[in-house]
Amino acid sequence: MSDLVNVSFRAQLKVWKNVCFALFLRELRAQFSDRLGLAWGFLEPFAFIFGLSYMRSLIRDGDAHGIPIFIFMLIGMVTIQSFLQPFTKIASAFSKSKPLYAFRQVQPVSALLVAAFVEYTIKIIVILLALLTIYLLGVTFPVHDPLLLFLLFHLLWIMTISMSCILGIASSYLPEVKKIVGVFTRPLFFISCVFFSLQDIPVEYWHWFTWNPLVHFIELGRYACFESYGDRGVSLQYAFEFTLVVFFFAVSLYHLTWKGLLSR
Amino acid sequence: MTIRLINLTKSYPSRLGPQYIFRNLNFDFPTENNVAILGKNGAGKSTLFRMLAKSEYPDKGQIYTNKSMSWPVALATGVHPQMTGRENARFIARINDVRDLPKYEEAVQDFAEIGKRFDLPVKTYSSGMRARLVFACCINIHFDIYLIDEATSVGDPKFRRKAREALEVKAKEAGLIMVSHEMDQVREFCTSAIIIEDGQLNYYGDLEEGIAAYME
Repeated sequence: MSDLVNVSFRAQLKVWKNVCFALFLRELRAQFSDRLGLAWGFLEPFAFIFGLSYMRSLIRDGDAHGIPIFIFMLIGMVTIQSFLQPFTKIASAFSKSKPLYAFRQVQPVSALLVAAFVEYTIKIIVILLALLTIYLLGVTFPVHDPLLLFLLFHLLWIMTISMSCILGIASSYLPEVKKIVGVFTRPLFFISCVFFSLQDIPVEYWHWFTWNPLVHFIELGRYACFESYGDRGVSLQYAFEFTLVVFFFAVSLYHLTWKGLLSR
Repeated sequence: MTIRLINLTKSYPSRLGPQYIFRNLNFDFPTENNVAILGKNGAGKSTLFRMLAKSEYPDKGQIYTNKSMSWPVALATGVHPQMTGRENARFIARINDVRDLPKYEEAVQDFAEIGKRFDLPVKTYSSGMRARLVFACCINIHFDIYLIDEATSVGDPKFRRKAREALEVKAKEAGLIMVSHEMDQVREFCTSAIIIEDGQLNYYGDLEEGIAAYME
């Protein structure tokens, strides 16, 4: 017994690191093995985000509450796509890695975190590409509060990963969830203030929108870039509390079900 | 030196309610010699096997052991069809904390006898080649107990002989637990047997005795 029990925490951490690295390489090989390769992984989301933002700015040039339309759209698109796209992709990591659970070193959470890391890295590259286009188009601007922007982005990712974890667990117990969830996430694209500002809506209807944490993330993101945009109606506290609740719910649910996930 | 099963309960959910495979099972699993697990389809051979490997966990109860165990080596465990044989071998090596990757790769390529096709995607392999790859990956990592699930049955006689020789070399310090339906294969590899019947395990120190009981 001594051999197995006395494995130090350090050694365990090392094995875990090895497993995650191996999973990461496998994920890259599996996802981008065709001729378009890795480039497609970030060119496609970039083209979507850039295309929609640029088209919108062509239709009605000018500004929305003091922000150039192109930048206004870009912030909204990057935020919503940091949720919608990774959400279902990360959630499927649990079931996709099922054959690998034969190796006892591979636990569902490693698969989840690796999938999340891949998605996160892709989004970072997309953002770098977006910054490059902003520079090339000559629409640069001074960021009012870079720290808030940084915080928001990572808070958003914690929320995305937590919700993916919940969806992943739910859909391995009830496969129907996967079909239904599309119906609920699709409208988010249109009600999360991507195309418009909360300020465009009469105050008495705000409560129809502000339950949605994405509204807070997007509007605060715009505020973090342009102080004059203001943060009326949204609060960092709500975004933070929502993330915290979802995160703990995801962690507890995982703790309860991880052994079941192996055999589902 | 055994594997000890304590109060083991395992069920699978189904539309007819939970299907129990084992209920409060207590058993000391001998590992001194190579053991074959025999039983009818659905008796729980593979389930027991996967629980020994900790690929799955029992609902209740514990499995105690001081042995390091391989993963359950079946036909396609953990092999990604899009990746090449070499990449798959590297993946398995990384996960099992193998120090010397190049040496391991060479050993696997050599043992599996797949030559240059080691660098082709596994989906282009025949099922026999796949089995050889998986077996080679396993046998080149040191474990106390190797869990083999009919993986070698698809190999040709020459490869099976090689596999047996490799296991015989290991037999001094390592054991083997095997699930198979083919009696000649069981006779080739094992010296004792465990029969699973109605959620109970019975150990037969003599393989022929076990096979006779199983055949009844």
